[in-house]
Amino acid sequence: MRLIHAATGEGFNPPSAKDFELPPFIEGVDWATKPILLAFLSVIFISVFFIAASRKAAVVPSKLQFAGEGVYNFVREGLGREIIGHDFLKFVPYLFTLFTFILVNNFFGIIPFLQFPTMSRVSFPYVLAAITFFIFHYVGIKKQGIVKYLREIMFMPGVPKPVYILLTPIEIATYFLVRPLTLSLRLFANMFAGHLLLLVFFLGGEHLLNGVLGLKLVSPFAFVIGIGLTFFEFMVQVLQAYIFTLLTALYIAGALADEH
Amino acid sequence: MNKDENALWSIFGYLLSGLLVWGGIGYFVDRWLGYDRVFTLVGLLLGMGSALYLVWLRFGRHSG
Amino acid sequence: MEGMTGTLNLVGYGLSAIGPAIATGMIFAAYINGVARQPEARSVLQPIAFLGFALAEALALFGLVLAFVL
Repeated sequence: MRLIHAATGEGFNPPSAKDFELPPFIEGVDWATKPILLAFLSVIFISVFFIAASRKAAVVPSKLQFAGEGVYNFVREGLGREIIGHDFLKFVPYLFTLFTFILVNNFFGIIPFLQFPTMSRVSFPYVLAAITFFIFHYVGIKKQGIVKYLREIMFMPGVPKPVYILLTPIEIATYFLVRPLTLSLRLFANMFAGHLLLLVFFLGGEHLLNGVLGLKLVSPFAFVIGIGLTFFEFMVQVLQAYIFTLLTALYIAGALADEH
Repeated sequence: MNKDENALWSIFGYLLSGLLVWGGIGYFVDRWLGYDRVFTLVGLLLGMGSALYLVWLRFGRHSG
Repeated sequence: MEGMTGTLNLVGYGLSAIGPAIATGMIFAAYINGVARQPEARSVLQPIAFLGFALAEALALFGLVLAFVL
């Protein structure tokens, strides 16, 4: 939904999807955009942090080691052991990588000067959801064999045969289309909308500050709400990283289970 | 906890894909036969109904 | 406000989403309350709560699709 002001140029230009299309920072190199740079930065940051945290591992942990182990334990126990159950160790590296990667990239949305959530470009969530999609189907096929796996997806037991015409398309669409799509779009939409919301309040507040006296007086409220929303965004970012990883674990667990 | 959350997202997925699949089929039937949205609505209702039936089969049939 | 473009369908969808949102909240409030008071009733309450959630969610999704179709 776009509400376009007719008098462009003069009035306030509300932030829109255009604000997410950043130009490449090196002339002529199309792929060198800010989101790509941030993704690389996040990989470097995560690697350095966890190598530093695990390097001088001691029985009495330092603060850094404690933080690193806290995050690792959270993923391993809370998501791996709790949800996947007894074969969970194989999947912990993937879950852990996924969680930290999404978390740090989301945080970039509220870190000063970076201030751009990488996941608000839809290609990043698509790729992550595609990896999850291939992993959980591969795991399911390997565990149960392709025929049995597909039969379990497509045919619910205990239904009169003609009803399968209605139900089977829905089951196929759920497993092969809706699951990866909702997984990626949920993350994308949350980051996109959150960034847009912050832009509205901060750019709007700035615009009010440049207006007449009456508008100047209300502009602090816009900034205060904006700062409040920044903390709200922090919560949303953690939550979305958690949900993405949780759903990945749930899908893997569902593919591993003999009977769902 | 684990089962609850799984069930909630599965229900959401079933309902959404029921609407999309049968609504989409209805939409193409409309395009094919030249009706204006009649079969889309029929398809949406059909998809919603069968998705709810599927949810009942999977989560409501046996208590627990 | 002249010069604004957009579709009122989405405003309507926003309004229609209020109902299912409140309904979902009430269903799970009641479910959590029941399980907290009587944990062994969980297996009885769970399918009922899920079916109620499915019905409420169905209306919300129906509104979403109709906002784009109509």
